[in-house]
Amino acid sequence: MSTRDLAQSQRGPAPAQLADVLERILDKGIVIAGDIQINLLDIELLTIRLRLLVASADKAREMGIDWWEGDPFLSKGGRDGNGTSIDSRLRALEEKAGLPTKHEEDEDS
Amino acid sequence: MIDAPAGTAWYVYGVGEDDEALSRIEGVELIRQGGLTAVVREVSLDEYDETILPQRLNDRDWLERNARAHEDVLQAAAAVTAIVPLRFGAIYRSREQVGRMLDERSGEFVAALERVRGHVELGVKVWTDLPTLEGTLAADAEPSAGGEGAAYLQRRREEQKRSRELAARCAELAEETHARLSALAAAAVANRPQPPELTGRRDRMLLNGAYLVRAGDDGLRREVERLAAEHAELGLEYEVTGPWPPHNFTDEAQ
Repeated sequence: MSTRDLAQSQRGPAPAQLADVLERILDKGIVIAGDIQINLLDIELLTIRLRLLVASADKAREMGIDWWEGDPFLSKGGRDGNGTSIDSRLRALEEKAGLPTKHEEDEDS
Repeated sequence: MIDAPAGTAWYVYGVGEDDEALSRIEGVELIRQGGLTAVVREVSLDEYDETILPQRLNDRDWLERNARAHEDVLQAAAAVTAIVPLRFGAIYRSREQVGRMLDERSGEFVAALERVRGHVELGVKVWTDLPTLEGTLAADAEPSAGGEGAAYLQRRREEQKRSRELAARCAELAEETHARLSALAAAAVANRPQPPELTGRRDRMLLNGAYLVRAGDDGLRREVERLAAEHAELGLEYEVTGPWPPHNFTDEAQ
């Protein structure tokens, strides 16, 4: 956080980001099924984005810090359990480079 | 029950105690029942009827206007008394129904009011510029023996290792921040970080936390400043939002 931002937040709230408001208004607070039933999941506006937010209620991840999952940048190397594809990609590269592959080495030994 | 098309309904924003201060909030009515007060607004069924509301909700401007109005009412209430926010869309066809709801859920409201009394919610987001953070990871490239192919493979392996290290570092920073801020809060919750499509920012959100702190206590803000200073080299940005009504702290679970 820059000093400017801190100073600003100490002076009082700047207009809240719509995402922050929607996250709280649509996904938090006590749920009351009134006389008029609405399904907030039907909201098409910002559909996917809001569903991502609403999904947070699932508490699927205790800490909610799994954002790198599915991120092409961070997951390109694969995470645990994704070893097969790395292995096969590596092998293909090794073969292309004319190097002995791990597979062959195992056979040799 | 079928009402005439031009009928009205009562939209409930939140529930407080029977506090005279609530009557100073503009644009709302109060429905009192058994020591509790529902902050409501009379709305037209032209807008809020079951058959119409789904379309309204998909009108971006309508949704923003009404979500902000919901928040504004709760802000005004939270500024003067303890208030339990309701989720958007609690709508009743009569004042009597609202009173009945207050009766039925009285225990839940009283307990929630007890939890949030004298407290406000602060939001803390931590952002990172991933390339900057990656640059702070220990450089451990070993010079490659062997030819071009071997060098390429080693580079690939190092890239993969760094990706894992970077993800681990992000998780570690988020956990550390959340733990330190939680220690200063009456209750805390780490929500799913908002995705880039929602924030519109290139920087990644590492932490999207909400903290229930005593009103007027600036300990959490000071801790955020300390964290920002400690992590100045890491390309992290800390953003405090609020004070908010205690949206995140109405459940017993927290």
